[in-house]
Amino acid sequence: MNLKAILSLTTATLVFGTAALAEGTHPVTGEALSDNQTFNYLQLDQFPSVDPQLVEETIGSAIARDLFEGLLIQDADGNLIPGVATSYEASNSNKTYTFTLRPEAKWSNGDPVTAHDFVYAWQRAVNPETASPYGWYMELTSIVNAAEILAGDMDPSELGVKALDDHTLEVQLTKPLPYFPAMTTYATMMPVHQATVEEFGSKWTDPENIVSNGAYVLTDVVLNEYNTREKNPMYWDADNVIIEKTTGHIINDANAGLTRYKAGEIDLTDELPPGQYPNLLAEMPDEAHSVPRLCSYYYTFNFRPDSKPELQDVRVRKALSYAIDRNVIVDQILKGGQWPAYNFAHRATAGFEMPEIDYAGWTQAERDAKAKELMEEAGVEDLEVKLIYNTSESHKAIATIVSQMWKQKLGVETTLENYEWKTYLGIRKDGKFDVARGAWCADYNEASTFLDLLTSNNGNNDGKWSNAEYDDLIEASTTSDNPNEMYTKAEKILADDMALAPIYHYTNAFLLKPDVKGWPYNNAERNWYSKDLYRVAE
Amino acid sequence: MLSYIFRRLAVAIPTLLVLVVFSYLVMYAAPGGPFDTERALPQEVMANLEAKFGLDKPLVVQMANYVWNVVVHFDFGPSYYYKDQTVNDIIAQGFPVTLTYGFWSFVVAVVVGMSLGVCAAVYHNSWLDYLAVGVSIGAQVLPNFVMAPILVLVFTLWLGWLPGGGWQGGQWQYVVMPVIALSTSFMASIARLTRSSMLEVLNANYIRTARAKGLPMRKVILRHALKPALLPVVSYLGPAFVAMITGSVVVDMYFSTGGIGVFFVNSALNRDYSVIMGITILTGALTIFFNLVVDILYAWIDPKIRY
Repeated sequence: MNLKAILSLTTATLVFGTAALAEGTHPVTGEALSDNQTFNYLQLDQFPSVDPQLVEETIGSAIARDLFEGLLIQDADGNLIPGVATSYEASNSNKTYTFTLRPEAKWSNGDPVTAHDFVYAWQRAVNPETASPYGWYMELTSIVNAAEILAGDMDPSELGVKALDDHTLEVQLTKPLPYFPAMTTYATMMPVHQATVEEFGSKWTDPENIVSNGAYVLTDVVLNEYNTREKNPMYWDADNVIIEKTTGHIINDANAGLTRYKAGEIDLTDELPPGQYPNLLAEMPDEAHSVPRLCSYYYTFNFRPDSKPELQDVRVRKALSYAIDRNVIVDQILKGGQWPAYNFAHRATAGFEMPEIDYAGWTQAERDAKAKELMEEAGVEDLEVKLIYNTSESHKAIATIVSQMWKQKLGVETTLENYEWKTYLGIRKDGKFDVARGAWCADYNEASTFLDLLTSNNGNNDGKWSNAEYDDLIEASTTSDNPNEMYTKAEKILADDMALAPIYHYTNAFLLKPDVKGWPYNNAERNWYSKDLYRVAE
Repeated sequence: MLSYIFRRLAVAIPTLLVLVVFSYLVMYAAPGGPFDTERALPQEVMANLEAKFGLDKPLVVQMANYVWNVVVHFDFGPSYYYKDQTVNDIIAQGFPVTLTYGFWSFVVAVVVGMSLGVCAAVYHNSWLDYLAVGVSIGAQVLPNFVMAPILVLVFTLWLGWLPGGGWQGGQWQYVVMPVIALSTSFMASIARLTRSSMLEVLNANYIRTARAKGLPMRKVILRHALKPALLPVVSYLGPAFVAMITGSVVVDMYFSTGGIGVFFVNSALNRDYSVIMGITILTGALTIFFNLVVDILYAWIDPKIRY
């Protein structure tokens, strides 16, 4: 990223902002602001943790992004913008990164935010005593010695990160990662206040103890009811923060969420009752939105040596995949604007060029005809497969319709089995299936987060598909400056061998009150920051 | 009587211990563990998590440690899933909520249910009887997961009288709908139990005698019939009270009350072992205690019963 560009951008907002806010208008757009600057939204569950190094799911992450600020953050389009770091430089051919931190950044108790805070936090993330479930993420960053420290073979102080002075942070990587800076936006790499963590132990995130450096401070947590964060006056850019208070209401039920949205108790619900999106869009065209969500839904085949022999025949796998009418699934079951999928990586992934997959361009009639032909060619008759999925209404609906398609078009008998989530994970991992439902969501906005899944050594490759050429391509892509070509090849291998049957690419359908502005519709990772939102006067 | 109470309490301890061991074993037999997620964790990360929560030790040691911490320190351990919370925090925050709406549900269920039951029995085969039976059957067949959305539709969306969810420290507006949703089916059971046992008592000889000697109907019912008619109802009330104060997952989920009912279900789904154990022990202890209360009440209501 261009150093000058970052600096000038920051200065512009600063100058612009302070003058205009006083008049109750938005500093950039000039819209009249409402007197009520609170934001209430649905949280599907109580967050397990807001401790940056322990956060592992989306609800806690959203809160952590408001409470803590990492080196870099994202704007409404998902682009990297300065957070605590004003700029960075890559050297040693992308194996050393040096970040310059802004001197005015402060913790909510007034202490300055320094490079030492980042060193402490990152060491904490790999320290076995912290037992961070996101330890794997630190391994993924390739910081020197991260994996060894996690395994208990080295002391956390040997992590490849050091504070050259209070405002300069240097990171050493084991391999050149062009996307390392982007990884610093995730919670695991946010700073924490050492003195507070050490004083209060596991209670340091309680509202009465917590010290944070983000635009907000945690002020209230009532388990399974609501939690509140309020504007942090110590935040370096507090003058431009408009929303005064954000409250997450824990509502475990999509219907209850919809009711409370209609009653005006919440401004955002992103869990709509299944299949309801078209009706809601007709009813509230200004409030219903559907945007890409970086997750792919698929059926994986079982490639283990002891699994069903028919499925080891690529013609059978292709026939099964071709016979799935994905349009029926997205248009008649899901109805949320999802895309039928014929490749694995989500189409909205940043920088990803959709590969041209042959059967994506066919009509369903052509696919069906081809499927029958392949099945006959393979000489397979009376095939019976066991399709497993985790318990859920929509997985059930999809599995049922797919089994009917297979029955009608190919004469394949399907046994459906569903299991509660944790049981399901075990069964799928142990390979007790012929076909298994799966979905993969991006850990970061880059196609490798999807394509890595199918490499031979990936712990999440539950179908155990393995292809040496594919592995080599993915390995080479990690350090390539232009990996798209490799991704296209990899996707073609997946389709040619039908390693899995992609079904659809997710969307995120939600309702948002029309007076709430600044929502990052184009941020495909759905990383939103309360500091970017504002309410306009009605 | 006192020695009876002490004996019962003494038996409660081994009972709870059996409950702990049994729950522990069942919990471990369930497939999957607290740290299993869609993403398979690298071995070293999993090992660190298991070490932190003591899951790397043999089962017997884990159980012994657990019982020791509970008995000696009254510490139910940290939650494996809600990493910022301990089980003590979760119960301390959630139980008062369920206790509040559970208690009021109990009061409503008992008062309305018994009144309905008594009226139905006294005016047997009249329109009042049919109405009471109709109401109680209606309330019984309407499960609370249907009841809750209907209540919200009427009181929040149509009339705008009550908030659609939340608790806000138990302000009355937030308590009304959870109480209605939770109490109706209990109320219906109490009404039917009261009605049938009241009918039986009203046909007894001593009631005929009481009426024959000219006592007004009101006195006959309140002084002579009600107490014996309540015996079967009271034995139902003990477990019903525990069921109400330990919360309802439907009420917690639909009204976002923050009670422990939803934690109980989520902890099972998350394999959050310590929370499962904590709430199981709480529910077990309350059940034992209120069964004892019922037995004591029995002796008070029916002098024939002696312990």
